[in-house]
Amino acid sequence: MLDTVREIETPEGISLRLRAAGALPRAQAWMLDALLRLGVFMLAMIPLSLLGVGGNGLAMLLMFGLMWAYSVVCEVWMNGQTVGKRTLGLRVVNADGTPVTWVPSVVRNLLRVVDALPGVYGVGLACTLIDPHARRLGDIIAGTMVVHTSELPAGAQVPTVAAIPPPVVLAADEQAALVEFAERSGQLTLQRQEELANLLMSLTGRRDTAAVSQLIAHANWLLGRA
Amino acid sequence: MKQERFVAMHGREWDSLQSWLSALERQPQRTMRQEHALDFPQSYRRLCHQLALARGRGYSREVTDRLQRLVQQGHRVLYRPPAPRWHRVAVFLLAGFPRLVRSQWRCMTVAALLFYLPALITLVLMQLRPEFAHTVFSSAQLAQFEKMYDPGNPHIGRSSGTDLQMFGFYVMNNVSIAFRTFASGLFFGIGAIYVLAANGVLIGGVAGHLNAIGYGGPFWRFVVAHSAFELSALVIAGGAGLQLGLTLLMPGRQRRGPAMVAAGCVGAQLALGAFAMLLVAAFIEAYWSSIAALPNEVKFGSGALLWLLVLGWLWRGGRERSNGA
Repeated sequence: MLDTVREIETPEGISLRLRAAGALPRAQAWMLDALLRLGVFMLAMIPLSLLGVGGNGLAMLLMFGLMWAYSVVCEVWMNGQTVGKRTLGLRVVNADGTPVTWVPSVVRNLLRVVDALPGVYGVGLACTLIDPHARRLGDIIAGTMVVHTSELPAGAQVPTVAAIPPPVVLAADEQAALVEFAERSGQLTLQRQEELANLLMSLTGRRDTAAVSQLIAHANWLLGRA
Repeated sequence: MKQERFVAMHGREWDSLQSWLSALERQPQRTMRQEHALDFPQSYRRLCHQLALARGRGYSREVTDRLQRLVQQGHRVLYRPPAPRWHRVAVFLLAGFPRLVRSQWRCMTVAALLFYLPALITLVLMQLRPEFAHTVFSSAQLAQFEKMYDPGNPHIGRSSGTDLQMFGFYVMNNVSIAFRTFASGLFFGIGAIYVLAANGVLIGGVAGHLNAIGYGGPFWRFVVAHSAFELSALVIAGGAGLQLGLTLLMPGRQRRGPAMVAAGCVGAQLALGAFAMLLVAAFIEAYWSSIAALPNEVKFGSGALLWLLVLGWLWRGGRERSNGA
C-alpha cells in the first residue's frame, strides 16, 4: 500500500481509501483556475468598459468575487471541485471523506493568503512536502485534504484456463497473493513470471513456463471457475 | 462461497446501484426524485457488508476494487452535506454571529484596544503638534485627503467617481483587508496585531490632521454612519486572527491539531460575519455618507443610531430571553 493513502473507517465499518494529491497536480489545477478567472475577467471587461466609471465599480465587484468567492462557491456547489480540480481529477474532502462543506472551505481558502506568502506558494509547497497527506496549512487548519478522484487501476483480469485445485488448502492471504500474481502476470515479462513461479516449486512441483501456467490454473480454481 | 458464485448472486444489484450513482452525477435533481433513491441507504449498507465479506474471504482485487469504488461513490452521496438554506444565513447573522463574538470577548477586547488606542493617541498628537502629520503621511497623501474632505466638495469623502464605482472599490478594498487581517493572525497573531495597529495610526492620523486644519466638519459627517459597521468589522476580523494565533501558542487542554481546527472554524465564521458587516458598511459609505447636502442633525443622528444598532446587536443579539414573569 502506498504511504500517501489515508484509510478512514466509515460508520459501516468499511475503510475508505483516500489518495492524497501532491503539490504538482494541485499547482496545475490552480494554474488552470487562474487562467480561467483571468479569461472571465477580461471577457467581462469588454461590456463593462462601455459603462464608464460605474462599470469600474462592477469590475471591482467581479474581481472581488473571482479572488475570494470563486473557490469557495465552486467547492461547495461542485462536490469539492473547482473547474481546474475537476479537469485534473482532484477533489477537496473533509477529514471523514465526505465532500467539503461551507465553513472548512472558507477556512482553507482564506488561509490561502498565508500559504501563498513568500513568492508563489512558498509556505504551501513546503507544507505539502512535509505533511504525510500533502496538506497545506489551510488544509490542516480546515481539517480537509485534496484527493485524487480516480481509483487505482484494477489489476488485469485473470486469463481463463482449465481450473486445477491446489494440492494443499491455502490461507486467505496466500490465495490473495496467488490471484494477484495471476492478475498481473500479463504485465510482467516471461522471465520475471518464471522467476516468481519458481519460488513456489514446493506447491507446483514444476519449473519455468509449466509452473506459471499451473499457478494460473490454481488461481482460476480459487476464483471458482469450472 | 466461491467468488464467482458471489458475483453472480449480487452482480445485478451492484450494476443497478452503479447506474443510479452515475445518473446522479449527470442529473442530480431528477435522479434524486426516482423511486430508487428511497432504497439507496439500504442497498449502500448491503454493499458495505458485501465488501467486508469479500475482503474477509480474500476474493480477488477484481471484486474488492469494484466494490470499493462503489462504496466510495456511495459514501459521498449518503454523507453529503445538507443543502444550504437561506434561513440559516439569517439565523447566523442575527443570533449566531453576535454570540460567537461575545464568546471570544477576550480577543475582541484586545483587538479593539490594539486598534482604538493608537488611533486615539495619533488623533490627540495631531492636535498638539500638527506638523506631526508630515512624518506619518507623504505630502501627496495629505493633499489627497484635503481634496477629499474639502468643505466645498459636493461629494464628501472622495475626489472623483460615482456611487457604484466607490461601492465596488470599498467592497474589494475593505473586505480584502479584513480577510488578510484574519489570515495573517495565523503567524502567532503578529500579522493581525500589525494590521490593527497600523490601521489605527492611519485612521487616527487622517482624522487628527483634518481636524487640525479645520476640515473636521466634513470628515466626521462622512465617517460617522458607516464607521459603526466598518471599524467594528475590522476589529472583529483582527480578533478572529488573534484568536487563531493564540490557539497556536496556547491550545489549552487539547492537542494542538484539533484545537487549531476548532479555532479555524470559529475564525472563518467571524470572518464571514465581518464580510457581511463590511458589505453593509460599503453600501452606506457609497450611497449615504457621501451626500453632502444633508443637515448635521440628520447625519449625526443616523450615525448615532447605527452605532447603537451595531453595539446593541453585538451585545444582545442571540441572547436567550430572561425567564422572568
